[in-house]
Amino acid sequence: MELDYAGLVCPMPILKLKKYLAQNKGQIVDIDLVLSDKGSLRDIPAFCEQAGLNCTLLKSEPEIRFNIKSC
Amino acid sequence: MNSDTVSSGKLSVIHTKGTLDWAYPTFILASTAAAMDKEVELFFTFYGLKAVLKSTDTLKVSPLGNPGMVLHSPVGPNWFKELDLNSVLPGLVWTLPGMSLLATWGFKQTLLQQGQVPVGELRDLCIELGVKMTVCQMTMDMMGYKEEDFIEGVEFAGAATYFANTPKSQSLYV
Repeated sequence: MELDYAGLVCPMPILKLKKYLAQNKGQIVDIDLVLSDKGSLRDIPAFCEQAGLNCTLLKSEPEIRFNIKSC
Repeated sequence: MNSDTVSSGKLSVIHTKGTLDWAYPTFILASTAAAMDKEVELFFTFYGLKAVLKSTDTLKVSPLGNPGMVLHSPVGPNWFKELDLNSVLPGLVWTLPGMSLLATWGFKQTLLQQGQVPVGELRDLCIELGVKMTVCQMTMDMMGYKEEDFIEGVEFAGAATYFANTPKSQSLYV
């Protein structure tokens, strides 16, 4: 599952990710997140830590790509 | 900030500014905090009331008396778009008729080109995420606004209610 939030800036990637998680509550999360907002490099891991999700940075150039999984 | 305020997971923002630029930080912080499961309370007072009027059209921005503002043209050749018009043009320019409308238009276009959403959309997201909003009753009466001028879901109360509701909140003043 891939969520493409390229082109969006703070706070929209976090809000859209939150919405996705709320809509899929109770299910196992395994998503690739694609972003262009550089602030996301710090914000997505911070959000995931607080939400209890594993977050791995797959690449940061040319686009930012995270894998996010349930713990 | 002490450990008590962090663990309680509550944020309150006192919003006092009536311009478009300052509506963004408040709604960005509020929506993000709510997405991170904090209870969020926004208290709108004085000019800040404009941020919760039904129409966001009265939210404007002007470089006049606003030296910190960076204003780029959203149109034109690249060398022109890179200029900070607030630094290169004399301040007198912004007193001309129509300039605040032009600056507001340019500011909105720049935000949209960057990937930011219109302020009304961000505000709707705050409500969707459960952010509680309170309008200062005294200011509303003083400025001649009516309850029906404001968006659905806001409450009307005074400073005592704000303090009663937010003793354990991390509080910001915008």
